[in-house]
Amino acid sequence: MSVAQGRWTGVALDHQIQPASSNPVVLNGQALAVWRGEDGPVRVWEDRCPHRGMRLSFGFVRGNTLRCIYHGWAYGADGQCAEIPAHPALAPPKTICANSYPAETRYGIVWTTLGDGASGPPDLGPDEGWEGVRSLFVAASAEAALTALARFDFGAGATTRMLAGDIVEVSFGPELRMLVVVQAMDDERAALHAAAKGARATEERAALAKRLERLRADIEQA
Amino acid sequence: MTVTTDPVALNEWVPCAWHGQIAIGAALDTMIFGQDIRVERTGDQDYRVTTFGGDSPRELPVQTRYTCVFTTLGDDPRALPEIPEFDEADRRITGCGRVGVNTSPYRIVENFLDMAHFSFIHTDILGAADQTEVLSYRTEHRKDVDEIWAIDCTFYQPAASKAAAGGQLTKYLYRVMSPFSVMLYKNVATDPSRNDAICVFIQPRRETECLAYMPMAIVDEQSTIADIIDFQQSIFLQDRVILENQRPALLPLDPTYELPTRADASSIAYRRWLKAMNIRFGILEKQAA
Amino acid sequence: MTIRLYDYSLSGSCYKVRLMLGFLGLDYDRVQIDFYPGRQHRSPEFMEINPLGQLPVLEDDGLRLRDAQAILCHLANKHDDSGQWLPRDQARFGPVMMWVMFAGGELMAASAARLHDALGYDLDIEAARAKARAAFRVLDDHLTGREIDGGKWIVGDTPTIADVACFPYVALAGDGGLGHEEYPALRNWMRDFRRLPRFHAMSGIPEFV
Repeated sequence: MSVAQGRWTGVALDHQIQPASSNPVVLNGQALAVWRGEDGPVRVWEDRCPHRGMRLSFGFVRGNTLRCIYHGWAYGADGQCAEIPAHPALAPPKTICANSYPAETRYGIVWTTLGDGASGPPDLGPDEGWEGVRSLFVAASAEAALTALARFDFGAGATTRMLAGDIVEVSFGPELRMLVVVQAMDDERAALHAAAKGARATEERAALAKRLERLRADIEQA
Repeated sequence: MTVTTDPVALNEWVPCAWHGQIAIGAALDTMIFGQDIRVERTGDQDYRVTTFGGDSPRELPVQTRYTCVFTTLGDDPRALPEIPEFDEADRRITGCGRVGVNTSPYRIVENFLDMAHFSFIHTDILGAADQTEVLSYRTEHRKDVDEIWAIDCTFYQPAASKAAAGGQLTKYLYRVMSPFSVMLYKNVATDPSRNDAICVFIQPRRETECLAYMPMAIVDEQSTIADIIDFQQSIFLQDRVILENQRPALLPLDPTYELPTRADASSIAYRRWLKAMNIRFGILEKQAA
Repeated sequence: MTIRLYDYSLSGSCYKVRLMLGFLGLDYDRVQIDFYPGRQHRSPEFMEINPLGQLPVLEDDGLRLRDAQAILCHLANKHDDSGQWLPRDQARFGPVMMWVMFAGGELMAASAARLHDALGYDLDIEAARAKARAAFRVLDDHLTGREIDGGKWIVGDTPTIADVACFPYVALAGDGGLGHEEYPALRNWMRDFRRLPRFHAMSGIPEFV
């Protein structure tokens, strides 16, 4: 795997994890449920209900609790089971707790790590002003995606530089730059999450998204 | 995978086709426990099952019962269960074909035994969203027949069957006849003295790849067979999306790996029984520390 | 006025029609066809109703129609006075029809994968899944573009028969061994669709959103 277990990785665009939703994400072969309550921050949990193993990405959100679709068990923001509908009078034992991972939103991207999270997401400057462009999913390894990304032609005047092992910055001049973060799903699949910043970021978003679709074709042809 | 060597799993009868699936004179290739088999229909009620691929072909025993064709790879298999309801003249006897489910057979059995999911997965049919409580029931290991039973089960159901006219408190009896077969008796809406009998017999193709057969013996003079099949298939395909998304697909027998509550008493009894018989096929092996 | 639907509960194509009838608030009679295991849709009696031997079939006041997409067009054309579900203006009519045809064409690869996995149909499953993924990607890209433009439905500012036609086999992808991990725009669109008034689920699509 290209992404070390302890490192933080972008796994979704913040704006695409909508309020009151739970979403499936695969990171280094580990299935995750990325969910958001009716308000508040994104959370990243193991995609497995502690009760009978049902994937929590199929769950539904009420208030700021995530409920498993199978038996409606409700989990609070801390992962603790708060309610078991089969036994309304029962206070769920403390041992029933969803397995959670560190999660943080920065640069319009949701970051997590399968490690302890001590280091935090990479520091790429101030967080303000970033907006998600789009995510791409490719039938290629993260390594192949990075190689193709690093040499992709983003158009006249664009310069590409590697910020970290799995993060590329594309600069289109002083009014527009774009981050592309590569996430290994498994050995054969990867995701790329792109966010942009600058005076032209909003008006250029559609064009950048189209350009990224060309990048996807490039990666898969390589 | 290769053919399982688990003697416990091998010594069970499992279905390999439903009666009527194969035309007379024709054959169907399928698999049990990783072993390729060919099911030939040699006459109206006559079938021949042989292994192929790998070792030299051998002929396997065959029985046709409960709308299914059964076979076994074992030398000393547990007998098929007796289900007398299938012999009652006024019952509607039907199967539902067979449905593929990519999980271990035990996940299918546990889901069938479970009442706590009715309100969430079979909403407005087998359970109501505002009546989720599972009242206490009893489980027992009937040693004379080596079966697991759950008795005194009740659950409020808005539309308990195709024949039901409205909501009712349904009484259930559950019966696990083998690691790969389970059935329930539920009281008939129109005649409280009788029970519908609904079974699931599982053909494990591989550890996490199954075919489920659902023979039923129903008391219902009104509904068409198409209606009865449609009702049962609709219920089962509501469960199927759950079954294929439980992780892991193999069944963990370590009681700390998945945490049950009182409503899971039948699942707890089933897992304990599987553990005691030392079955290995389709079971999650303990991870090395 | 009587509407009759020849129906099979597990059919995603029949579900398109049931959804539309529900959104339009129309009462109808169902004739349950034993599609599996009975193969009643291939019986001589049913072949007289639809010589293609396919479900669904809709009868509406003497008119008999086959093909889910054609039936959606008919229902919206006849029973939706608001014009929301089948817009007639030039900017929307063509795009709606384009995506309706896509639902009956490319997206049906997801139906094939599901028939293979659930009902044992003998077909090239890897080819079916690859085609279904390609179709999902096309729709996900389109909905990503819609989201950038501030829209959330396939065409225009309201749900149309394009959304109704595409929804079932996208939502039922898992039944054919296809995950939703790689389609964030599809996930958000499906969630919005499931929260529409008068939406109802079917087997394989959980009730709770």
